[in-house]
Amino acid sequence: MRILFIIIPVSVGLLGFAVWALFWAVDSGQFENLDEIGRRLPDDDAEPGP
Amino acid sequence: MPVPARTTDAVAESVTCASGGYWVTRNGAHSRALFAVEGMRCAACARSVERALLALPGVRLASVNPATAHVTVEWTPADVGLPRLLAAIEQAGFHPVSLSGSGAEQAWQQEWRQALKRVGLAGLGMMQVMMYVFGVYVAPDGSIDPAIATYLRVTGMLITTPVLLYSGAPFLLGAVRNIRQRTLGMDLPVAIALCLAYGASVINTLRGTGQTYFDSVTMFIFFLGTGRLIERTVRQRSLALNEAIGRSMPALVTRRNAAGVSERVPVGSVVAGDRLVVARGAVIPVDAVLAEGSALVDESLVTGEARPVRRASGDLLPGGGLNVGDPIEITARRDVAHSTLASIIALLERAQADKPGVTTHAARLAGWLVGGTLALAAVTALVWLWIEPSRAMPAALAVLVVTCPCALSLATPVAVAAASTRLARRGLLVTRADALERLAGVDTVLLDKTGTLTAATASVDVLELTPPWTREEVLRIAAALERDSLHPIARAFAAHAAPACVASGCQERAGAGVAGVMGGETWRLGRRSYVSELSGGSGHGPDPDGVFLGNQSGIVALFQPAESLRPGAAAAVAGLRQAGLAVSIASGDQQPAVEQVAQGLGLAHAAARLQPADKTGLVRSLQRDGHRVLAVGDGINDAPVLALADVSCAMGQGSAIAQAAADLLLLNDRLDPIAEAVAVSRSMMRVVRRNLRWALFYNLAAVPLAALNLVPPWLAALGMSVSSLVVVLSARGLARSR
Repeated sequence: MRILFIIIPVSVGLLGFAVWALFWAVDSGQFENLDEIGRRLPDDDAEPGP
Repeated sequence: MPVPARTTDAVAESVTCASGGYWVTRNGAHSRALFAVEGMRCAACARSVERALLALPGVRLASVNPATAHVTVEWTPADVGLPRLLAAIEQAGFHPVSLSGSGAEQAWQQEWRQALKRVGLAGLGMMQVMMYVFGVYVAPDGSIDPAIATYLRVTGMLITTPVLLYSGAPFLLGAVRNIRQRTLGMDLPVAIALCLAYGASVINTLRGTGQTYFDSVTMFIFFLGTGRLIERTVRQRSLALNEAIGRSMPALVTRRNAAGVSERVPVGSVVAGDRLVVARGAVIPVDAVLAEGSALVDESLVTGEARPVRRASGDLLPGGGLNVGDPIEITARRDVAHSTLASIIALLERAQADKPGVTTHAARLAGWLVGGTLALAAVTALVWLWIEPSRAMPAALAVLVVTCPCALSLATPVAVAAASTRLARRGLLVTRADALERLAGVDTVLLDKTGTLTAATASVDVLELTPPWTREEVLRIAAALERDSLHPIARAFAAHAAPACVASGCQERAGAGVAGVMGGETWRLGRRSYVSELSGGSGHGPDPDGVFLGNQSGIVALFQPAESLRPGAAAAVAGLRQAGLAVSIASGDQQPAVEQVAQGLGLAHAAARLQPADKTGLVRSLQRDGHRVLAVGDGINDAPVLALADVSCAMGQGSAIAQAAADLLLLNDRLDPIAEAVAVSRSMMRVVRRNLRWALFYNLAAVPLAALNLVPPWLAALGMSVSSLVVVLSARGLARSR
């Protein structure tokens, strides 16, 4: 069971990374205007191409 | 055509100004403000804010709506100032936010982000902690190395601590607030459960024996946090419209000064005649006239009309419209305090300041429920300690977490808010909180004819004329007499007004007509009996149809106003009858005109030639017979009838809407939203009853189960979140139109 002494700190480190990634995503506005992005998609076709 | 009664009630002069982004209304010696409060979670929080405000000297009224988190305060400016009020709210642990401008938007975004991070951390932490303790749970007794078990527990503690301190902060801070203010809020039992479970687990971890509950702590925080997050989002969506109205008033506007230079000025300093520039996507701040070109305006906030309207130069633009086309220049017609949007905001303030009776009862009940929960949890713990000590902790935790006064206290306000929002989108403004509750019980509808069923008359015909007067002359005189009148017929004459022809000393007599002096001669316009009084002529016999004009020498002309049915009148009547209501017309007009309209609408009951006093008598006798009456009128002339009826509905137009004392206001010129309002109010009451029943049933059923330790703590946390979500989601259906 010695492996636990390595695996558990690793899992805590992974948890820390996941929390950091989530906080970054929230703070950079990834979860805002979710509806608007979806609505904007069909409009792309309407724009004249180059 | 008779001239119905007018109210002479002086409307309290109110001045609205933006002070630091907060809207303050002055009403005589008192000031009033409406703003939002962040950090409110429950009815108990609403009570704390109210108490904090009422504790200040000079505060006359403080009312917090738990569903919208909006606060209405009324105070005497001589005793206390707005900054002091805001500071008191901060001190109580909440954050006041102005409803206008971008401040509210930013505060909402910040709170949303923080809530997401809190729930996210709790979720990740919960999964991890569960993994660590799972091993300890499933391992048969003694098979796990004590060192490993302690190692796993310490790691669990390491992860639970930040989850408790960061994600659980709202609950802990809420409980601290509860204790400081000696109120029983729903955060209190949750916080006690969290601290108990965490404290016991830390002690047992350090001792190396006994149960740990780190998984329960993280789970509580995750489930309860998620529940609140969803609930808030749903509530926010159904309230979007009310918020939009409150927020749409810009604090600064662009004014073009005499030299043609643009300057940014506070909206409160705009006066009639100012030239303003409204950018694309900006709100038209005051009632104004389009100065040049054409504009595309979204007036849905003001009239409920969903499609943008094309306006031409010289057209009237109501304040609160959104300029969706190119930038425009407008000329202000009124200052902001007398504009349409300010009136609507004033009405919304009033609607939110008075709470329906059910809400207050529910809030009080919620307080008792929390107190009962705490007592029951203590009893549960003691009894289990005596029977089987190992089950005392989980049972007490479940009892603490399972009750949800939130479901109870939200049941009514969410349903009322959702129903009002739905109707506001159709152009019907609910101005009193309990209006919909009363509307659901109505069984009789009295409709006024002139100005209500029929559109304000657009033209008049001259039927008879006494030489040597000409058609143009008599129309000019009539227009001058009716110039300041609010009666619907006045509009028909307005087209014939001439600047050179002015009447002085104009007076109105309710139900009779108007009188005025022109060129040294006294004129009267109205019923024959009233007009012929002037020449000492016979006023005997029934008054014939039409509007008479006369002076001292006799009757000069007879006018016949042309009337047309208002759009949606037929649909409204059909809808009301389909809902099982008895519909009838009560008009002051002549028999033939009333009958014609009644036949057109397929109505059997139509009472004509009613004086204002006859109409109130009719309402009284109906009420004596046990009927509950909805009166629909044009708001200005029918005020006594509207005030007497169980529910009143008026046609609102422009700045006059704030004066209308009606419970419901039709903001566009259509009548059909009334029928929808009846249907919506009935389904709203169904939702309210269902919600209250469900909340009571849930609490009564869940507590004994938890006390008997039949509900594990995690299920208790889930049940509590779901119970308040059910309430909010069931009200959500009301906001959607079919």
